[in-house]
Amino acid sequence: MIDTPYILQAKNLTKIYGENVIFKDISLDVHKGETIVIIGPSGTGKSTLLRCLNLLTPVNSGQIFLEGEEITAHGVDHDQVRQKIGMVFQNFLLFNHLTALGNVMIGLTKVKKMPPEKAKQKALHELERVGLADRAHHYPAQLSGGQQQRVAIARALAMDPLVMLFDEPTSALDPELIGEVLGVMEQLAHEHMTMLVVTHEMGFAREVADRIIFMEKGSIVEQGSPEDLFERPQHARTREFLGKISELYGKKEKK
Amino acid sequence: MKKVNWLISLLVLVSLLLTACGGGAQSHLDKIKQAGVIKVGTSADYPPFEYVDESGNKTGFDIELMEEIAKRMGVKVEWVDMPFDSLIAGVQEGKIDCSISAFNYTEERDKVVDFSEAYYTAEDAFLVAETFTGNITKPEDVAQYKVGVQSGTTQDDWLTNVLKIPEQNLSRYDRADQAALDLKSGRIDVMMADAIPAKALAQKIGGLKIVYTGVLSSGPMNIVLPEGDTELAKAINDILKQLKQEGFIDQLAQKYFAE
Amino acid sequence: MVNQFFSYIFQGTSVTVAVTLVALPLGLILGLLLALLYNYGGFWVSRLAAAYSLIMRGVPPIALLFILYFLLSGRLINLTPFWAGSISLGIISSAYQMEILRGALQAVGEGQMTAARAIGMSRLQAIRYIIIPQAIRLAIPPWSNEASIVLKDSSLVYAIGVPEILRRAQQLSATTQQPFLAFGAAALIYFVLVFLVNRGLDLLAEKTKLPTSMA
Repeated sequence: MIDTPYILQAKNLTKIYGENVIFKDISLDVHKGETIVIIGPSGTGKSTLLRCLNLLTPVNSGQIFLEGEEITAHGVDHDQVRQKIGMVFQNFLLFNHLTALGNVMIGLTKVKKMPPEKAKQKALHELERVGLADRAHHYPAQLSGGQQQRVAIARALAMDPLVMLFDEPTSALDPELIGEVLGVMEQLAHEHMTMLVVTHEMGFAREVADRIIFMEKGSIVEQGSPEDLFERPQHARTREFLGKISELYGKKEKK
Repeated sequence: MKKVNWLISLLVLVSLLLTACGGGAQSHLDKIKQAGVIKVGTSADYPPFEYVDESGNKTGFDIELMEEIAKRMGVKVEWVDMPFDSLIAGVQEGKIDCSISAFNYTEERDKVVDFSEAYYTAEDAFLVAETFTGNITKPEDVAQYKVGVQSGTTQDDWLTNVLKIPEQNLSRYDRADQAALDLKSGRIDVMMADAIPAKALAQKIGGLKIVYTGVLSSGPMNIVLPEGDTELAKAINDILKQLKQEGFIDQLAQKYFAE
Repeated sequence: MVNQFFSYIFQGTSVTVAVTLVALPLGLILGLLLALLYNYGGFWVSRLAAAYSLIMRGVPPIALLFILYFLLSGRLINLTPFWAGSISLGIISSAYQMEILRGALQAVGEGQMTAARAIGMSRLQAIRYIIIPQAIRLAIPPWSNEASIVLKDSSLVYAIGVPEILRRAQQLSATTQQPFLAFGAAALIYFVLVFLVNRGLDLLAEKTKLPTSMA
């Protein structure tokens, strides 16, 4: 391992789909234990950025380093890398044919080749962490959206990742189910899990984030602590976006 | 008697492209004798020539004849039952050693396989009531009378497609004896059938007579042999000659066709 | 007599069942392989798999049977009529099973693959542990249909001299002039076989069905 203060580092990442520039020249340093929230309007490349960071989507140019080692280099085993970067999706994507326990276990038994009994112990422990030990034998279709997303978090945690990526983890949830998922994430932040979260939940961003990044049109417009960004945004676009989003958030609250 | 399948033409084409790898030094006949078994193809759905009895045993005129031929060659028959349309291809591609299945010689078939000497020629007969006053001296004469025939037979085919007898003059029966009874009662004037059963019917029912016999609806029957296999052809032809001289084939015909 | 009659036709059942037991699994293995190649094999491989399916679905089974048995067997390979017949039917069936399975694989959805890759599974692991178990469940009902078709198509092997149910019925129909009885008996046997296959697969589908209701 190379000595570096950063767990995850991105240098000059650019992603282009055909004619569309999704994001351009993005650089990002993530410290160990840091919780970063990425905000910004839809379609500004936030989700694609997360997918690029764990190599689910290739970048057109730029480098990504995990614990100082370049994972975008030629010959790097992507499957090895992804074990170390957990990912949680907007639409949960639990494996439909497996129980909650099975979902959490399968990475341990098939990827990490852990003996089944040991894997089961660990999986149960992870389910407990997200408060779902009693739902271990339920299938995804038997769980609420919030429960499914918590299982998805447990599934990612079970792999003991160095960093967790959350791609709008609460966007697909009914409002009353959002809290339980955010609760789990907040708890993870307190346990100093390194997290990169794309979300529109400004309350969570303000309360939990160490740093907030505002992205728009494929570029990082501004970043800083929640206080700096929410109280003293430097850019007009940031102010405008935050204004709109808190209006929306406020409406949601009233409902 | 039966049709040649279009697939055979396809097979001929493709096999010309593939060209057989040629046999070894040993002749086909030697191989058969060495194995002690001759694989004979037949389509066992054509009584009385080849069919299965109700216990599933193969029997019939051709079957018994072939068993006798094999016995005289000093080998056993291994019967391979295939649909009629597959038999020529089977001989041609060496899947069976030969085939006996009431085959008639046709030029089409002769291009791809050889034929033994004829072992049997089915004659047709016209049967009338003894009181019949009409005049039948040549086959075409029947066209002006009411004719009865067993449905689906070669005679049926000949009357319909060769003589082109008007439909209203042709009565088809499920069984030959039904036609004979109608002939006697005067519902039809003439009945066409295989000569041997026709004679037997005339005797059995009485009051009927044969006015004409001749080879009309089907030609002589031959065993189908691999193209150019003169050695096997000679062996079989020699035995056929003996069997004819001994009267074996006539006896067999009596047994299978005279009822 | 009727008893003996039926028993002769019934003896063809073992042939029918044996041909089906070779053709169906062969078709499944080939079909699954082709479906995977079609879905995950990249542009050209996928085109090749599609072409195979198109050709094999277009070829009359009897033509393939004749080509394999009369032309190829004895030259390139040595096959008994039974094996030539079973393999031909398996090859034809593989094209239909490929269509069933590729539909099922697609129905599982890209998301499942993404999620599997995200926890570090290789493509093959994801296909094996995540995609196929779900696709198979979706494929059972249409597959049951294909199984019935192969079972009935197995009668084609009579064309090269394998005496199965239908051929035996034909023979007895010719002998006894009782086509209704002969083919009726054959139809009854086929009906029972198809019924058993469909019922068995229904039970399997029921057993492997995932719970859907919220508990």
